[in-house]
Amino acid sequence: MALFPVTTVGSWPRPTWLLQALRKRQSGEISFDQFNTLANDAVVEAVKLQEDAGVDIVTDGEQRRDNFYSFVVEKLEGVKLMTLSQLLDFIKDRASFEETLRALDVPSFAMKSPVAVDKIRPKSKLAVDEVDFLKANTRKKIKVPIPGPYMLTRSSWFPGLSDTAYPTLEDLGKDVSKILHDEILALKGAGVDFIQLDEPVLSQVVHGAEGAETFMCAALATRKDPTEELSYALELVNQTLKGISGIKLGVHVCRGNWSRKEDVLLKGNYGPLLPYLTEMNVDQLVLEFATPRAGELKVFKEYADEKEIGLGVVNPRSSEIESPDLIIRRVREATKFFDPSRVYLNPDCGFGTFAERPVNDAQTAFAKLRSISQAAQRLREAPLEIPA
Amino acid sequence: MQEQVKERILNELNVDKLEQFVNDLKTKPDVVKATNGPWHSRVKWQGGLKARAYMRNHVANFDEPEGLGATDSAASAHEHILSAVGACMMTGFVFQATRRGVKIHDCEIALEGTFGSIKNWAGISDESTPGYPEIKAKLFIRADADTKTLHELWNEAWKRSVVAQTVARGAKITPEFEAL
Repeated sequence: MALFPVTTVGSWPRPTWLLQALRKRQSGEISFDQFNTLANDAVVEAVKLQEDAGVDIVTDGEQRRDNFYSFVVEKLEGVKLMTLSQLLDFIKDRASFEETLRALDVPSFAMKSPVAVDKIRPKSKLAVDEVDFLKANTRKKIKVPIPGPYMLTRSSWFPGLSDTAYPTLEDLGKDVSKILHDEILALKGAGVDFIQLDEPVLSQVVHGAEGAETFMCAALATRKDPTEELSYALELVNQTLKGISGIKLGVHVCRGNWSRKEDVLLKGNYGPLLPYLTEMNVDQLVLEFATPRAGELKVFKEYADEKEIGLGVVNPRSSEIESPDLIIRRVREATKFFDPSRVYLNPDCGFGTFAERPVNDAQTAFAKLRSISQAAQRLREAPLEIPA
Repeated sequence: MQEQVKERILNELNVDKLEQFVNDLKTKPDVVKATNGPWHSRVKWQGGLKARAYMRNHVANFDEPEGLGATDSAASAHEHILSAVGACMMTGFVFQATRRGVKIHDCEIALEGTFGSIKNWAGISDESTPGYPEIKAKLFIRADADTKTLHELWNEAWKRSVVAQTVARGAKITPEFEAL
């Protein structure tokens, strides 16, 4: 593959008709199979736009998913999709959640968590059906994001709802880890080129104020101190990936992607996370770097070239299209710490992480990806170019 | 055999009953009179800053935050005002949406108010007003209708809300008194 491969973090804005079908699915008016048949057209369109924009490693745009982790309710037994408004009856400190909702300017029904209400068991593989369809509709290499074990465990274990089946969070973590391990092997067998574990909530562990929970993970209300949480996340990830090789693996961490208001999203550099991220048995760290909130790349000084980097070079939440010049300058900064062969280019996060709250429209997403591809092309043709 | 007529249910409301009610308001003065009121509430002191309101066969509890020396066992009366404004506007929204055949998937109203002056309430100043000079109410709605229709329904809900209009227009309150 040429230098600076262009890819995405996963999600793509869903068309209105697909959102309507998703609502019907969630209210039980149509079956999952009926929804999936409808979603095929949306996947084809999302893939075509990525290909036309010059993306080298495509995803299916997560068109079949409500969000990047809640979709597992269709694939696992023992898990129930619950909105924050439903969870409020089980939350002790409701006032802090109300504060967060107000700050984020979102309704409580917009936040959905896959809550473990019984022993979890696979009904089917989590994403193999997505891969089969994607492979039949593209010749490009493919990437599949799946929820990381820490994110899935954290978002699924809820005191008062989960503790009958799983007395502790760690009990649930063991089952989650096993299911994801088997999933990764199945995805490898299905011909996936790149699997990304989504662990965005790790930034909340380090940079989120205690008591001010994020939109991403209601269950973080029960978290312990950051060191313990990060050590547990590292243990879960490596337990999940134990014995797996022969496929590119990445982990994605960002600072929230539910609002276009930069001031309500988390802020803080990757420094405190790197000792843990670099110990994870993955090839690539897929990180946001397109906004000042993510801090500077120089935090990699002590960790240069330890991993590949999936460099976030455009902000998925803004209307402005970053120029290829700007993107090239960002890449040049990264190549101070990473060999060019270890740099992949992607947006900071998905364009439609939460189906009902996309952070951009497809037209803007396309233009941003095209700009990244143009930058990658210029970097390949003139490796030493540094735009003014 | 008599054919059974299937009830029309939308948003968990019986559409026929709802239309019947609207029709009765048009044609039956006694229904209008009975629905107009008077409506009643009786508020009883429960010790400290706690109170309990009795309304028909329902009760609501009130308290104040611990900062005031209270026990924070229930929401404050002024928080109930915000909730009452929101609940009443939601009632109107759902009522009108259902009459227009709009299916609602999710509906939430976030309300916020800031006192003009807490010092005024405490009796140590006459500045501003002890009440909320402004109440912000934001509707979050997921429904099978276009944005224009939903916006119209929201405007109607505000314009025709009993509680919102009572608060906004400043109903005349007649204080009476009897010492026993």
